[in-house]
Amino acid sequence: MNCTEVREALAERALSALPPEEAARVDRHLEWCAGCRKEAAELQQAAATFGLALPSADPPAHLGDRVVRAVEAVAGKPGTRRRARSAVASIIAALMAVAGLGWGSLMTGRADRLRRQAEVAQAQIERQNETIRKFRLFLQTVPGRSSEDDVLTGQLVPAPEHVGGGAALVYLSPNILDFAMVQVSGLSGKRGVLPYRVYLARSDGTLLRIGKIKEVSRTSGSGDVIGQFNQDLTGFTTVIVRDASGSEVLRGEVRLNAGFGTS
Amino acid sequence: MAQSSPVRGGRIPKGKRTNATGTPRPLLASEEQQLIQGLLAGNEEAVRAIYARFARPVFTVGLRLLGSAEAAEELTQDVFLTAWRKAARFDPSRGRLSTWLMTIAHNLAIDRLRRDTGVTRPTLVLVEQVPERAGEDEVEPLIERDEALRAIGSLSHAEQRLLARAYFGGLTAREIAEADGIPLGTVKTRLRTALIKVRRANLEKERP
Repeated sequence: MNCTEVREALAERALSALPPEEAARVDRHLEWCAGCRKEAAELQQAAATFGLALPSADPPAHLGDRVVRAVEAVAGKPGTRRRARSAVASIIAALMAVAGLGWGSLMTGRADRLRRQAEVAQAQIERQNETIRKFRLFLQTVPGRSSEDDVLTGQLVPAPEHVGGGAALVYLSPNILDFAMVQVSGLSGKRGVLPYRVYLARSDGTLLRIGKIKEVSRTSGSGDVIGQFNQDLTGFTTVIVRDASGSEVLRGEVRLNAGFGTS
Repeated sequence: MAQSSPVRGGRIPKGKRTNATGTPRPLLASEEQQLIQGLLAGNEEAVRAIYARFARPVFTVGLRLLGSAEAAEELTQDVFLTAWRKAARFDPSRGRLSTWLMTIAHNLAIDRLRRDTGVTRPTLVLVEQVPERAGEDEVEPLIERDEALRAIGSLSHAEQRLLARAYFGGLTAREIAEADGIPLGTVKTRLRTALIKVRRANLEKERP
């Protein structure tokens, strides 16, 4: 969509009066267009103004305490109970299918591949973009999905003296159990290094294990793992892959991917 | 931006909470930032301060769009949890806390509406509410509501009703066009014109 088309749609977007597919196309344009983003923000404020103008109803008296307890629970206060969220098995299964499309990027340090590196990298990028595009379309069909869900993605790079690469995705949602998906490629499948253990880490050093990669493909050294969590993954933005001896093999950071149509 | 005395843990000093007439004054950008940081830390005072200011319009969006107090309660809780999750991304220089929270509330409510009733058209009876002035007996009027009422004062009755159908009825422009038997392009233009009027009124009001 060009700027003219997007700007004509921004009022509807602010009012949530666009069909989801069209809203997603507008949001993708807003990822890179600062001018349209500014107008979108102003119209969003106008829509919020309209909402604020309504005579407001009194919430029930107990709601304040309920909200405080809910926030304390996610913020990690001891002794608090988390609200249950649904596990969506279908999204996991679909992600496994997506994983087969070559999500991971291959980055090698081997000299004999240097000549083809540029072409390989470009082909990988195109495959990843295609995978992301299909994942976006798929996301629109997931039950329980909210436009306030967040998707963070990032690349994994090899540690010094290691080869390989990968990609990671972390999905945050109020309705679906948060999950992390990691794809790797170019890793050794020799005994002694398997299984690989994959972790999420937070800036304070807290580690969460996503799972194990017990085997990798003989031809491409690729494998994947998905873990879902009954806790909030907000703040866990570092992905670490270690081999069986505990040596770090891959590492990367996930960042918000605004292309998934979230605010 | 001028700052009043520092806000700690979401607490705004008592003497600074109201203006000369005793009505709550708008929050400064720095105060909004500190409240959100308090929310992120799970600080009870910060949560209650945000709740005191914004729970009513958020709850009301839920009530209007979802049709029940239970659903509106659930929505209000989800708005706070979503705000907690996204707290690091709130930037008061880019927009007000009220806009941010109302946008989250509206997005979540629309999601729930479309999920519960199907993607096309909600089966709930439309509440075509034309906003009216606050009654004299309303407790703690949200200062931004008075501003909001002034901002939409430039809209005609028809424009207010159209915006209400989209905002509170969860209808797409196409659904409105089909319901009214008028061209889609006309509905799109009217929605855009009405919202731009509100935007102009907002831009004319300086942020404190």
